[in-house]
Amino acid sequence: MFFKKKKKAHFHGEGLFLFEKVEDAIKAEKVLKSADYMVKLVAPPPTLRKGCDLAVEINLVEQIGIERLFKQKDVDYIEVVPLKGGGELLEVVKVTDFGEAIMVKAGNMKLTFDKNTGIILNASGGGCPDIPYLHAELLDKKLTDAPRPKEIGFTLCALMMDRAFIECLDLWKETKGKQDDAYLWNSSDKGLPADAGRG
Amino acid sequence: MLICGTVPIKDFPLTPGEVKTKRESLIINDLEIPCTQGTAALISAALATTEHLNVPPPQALIVGDNGEGKGSRLLYEYLIKNISELSPAVLVLHYCLPVIGLMKRLCESIEKCSKKPIMIADASSMYVAKAAGLATKFDIFTPDSCEMAFLADPDATHPAYISRHLFDTDITQAAELVTDAYRNKSAARLLLIKGAIDYVVKDGKILDTIVEPDIPELEAIGGTGDTITGMVSAFTYAELELHEAAIIAARANRMAGKYAQATPATRIPEIISQLPTVFEEYLCEWSGVCMV
Repeated sequence: MFFKKKKKAHFHGEGLFLFEKVEDAIKAEKVLKSADYMVKLVAPPPTLRKGCDLAVEINLVEQIGIERLFKQKDVDYIEVVPLKGGGELLEVVKVTDFGEAIMVKAGNMKLTFDKNTGIILNASGGGCPDIPYLHAELLDKKLTDAPRPKEIGFTLCALMMDRAFIECLDLWKETKGKQDDAYLWNSSDKGLPADAGRG
Repeated sequence: MLICGTVPIKDFPLTPGEVKTKRESLIINDLEIPCTQGTAALISAALATTEHLNVPPPQALIVGDNGEGKGSRLLYEYLIKNISELSPAVLVLHYCLPVIGLMKRLCESIEKCSKKPIMIADASSMYVAKAAGLATKFDIFTPDSCEMAFLADPDATHPAYISRHLFDTDITQAAELVTDAYRNKSAARLLLIKGAIDYVVKDGKILDTIVEPDIPELEAIGGTGDTITGMVSAFTYAELELHEAAIIAARANRMAGKYAQATPATRIPEIISQLPTVFEEYLCEWSGVCMV
């Protein structure tokens, strides 16, 4: 008599959360499963091992939603690493100056703001389902008033948009500083008080 | 033609059906979707194209998902169960949470279709097709330059993790990325690489490049990649050769940007609204498809 072995559903997550202690890994799995994330407890490969012998395999693209959940639920972890490749998130950004507007590109995401007002004009690129949502949430808001993409997004695309957002914010502050200096210089030249026009 | 993807309305139910336009919105089964960046922009451009060509409008499978993935999983499961019965001539997979296991199951289900659809993927559906090792099952991918670097990176499962030297690769060096992507079996049969120079690549060979009109502002406008994919899909559905569909879509997108006098603040409906005029003026010349 032959028993048919039940075919196990394979989970291909491509990312690992590493933990100091086994109990942290078990707590993490429980928290994630109760939030409907697809995850699996695994032994980390020797090359990636840090801390304990247990890791949680995740769908790597969901990294930032999971990190936010861990923060809310007090789950401690060491780091998250991709199962393949060098393991480094892309840090570099590229900047394009359109004259009145600046576009910052971080990975597959691009964010563009108005140089004079600091208002977000456009967001493009990316492919994860939170990107159209972030697009709607960010457009027409001032960089200083807009929510951080990584606080309201869930995926790696949102994380890349957050990188672009931070760079835009730095560039805007720099531009604004120069505009204020020019204004002050012009004001003192015209005999106006040095703080005229400051809110 | 069946277009599948998510919209950024969390509770929008999984909805299959024919799509129509209503001013700047789309209507599917009496439900309204704003025409924003993403799958809505893709569908709108596809509709503008099918209307001009006088072919049946696209069918769509839409679900709400703000990134949490629940809607995406419903969409995958629906397709896995029903795709052999639906058996579309062209299947377009777009914004959807990338889940490798579900994409593998979907491709297994597609094998059961009486006739394999022409398969087109963009956005995260392209990411997951590559990450799952299923890129060669697809007929068309439409990456931008960063996504092309992702296809060329044998290890990356998402563009956020590509090697820096690949991210730094200039678009003028696309040929190297193309060679790597095809060697790694990470490319579809045809690639339309969107950028300052658009490349049309078939089976690893660059067939054409499109550079005019040069509208750099298009890169900043959310949805301009989606509109290209929508047009490629519709032209393919209208039985143009894949490379012809890609070349015309790239040209039309640039020309629509020119007509809209695109700036970095332009919104995607302004580009889409120019497509009928562009088709009217140029399609016959570009394709030999002349409407009388």
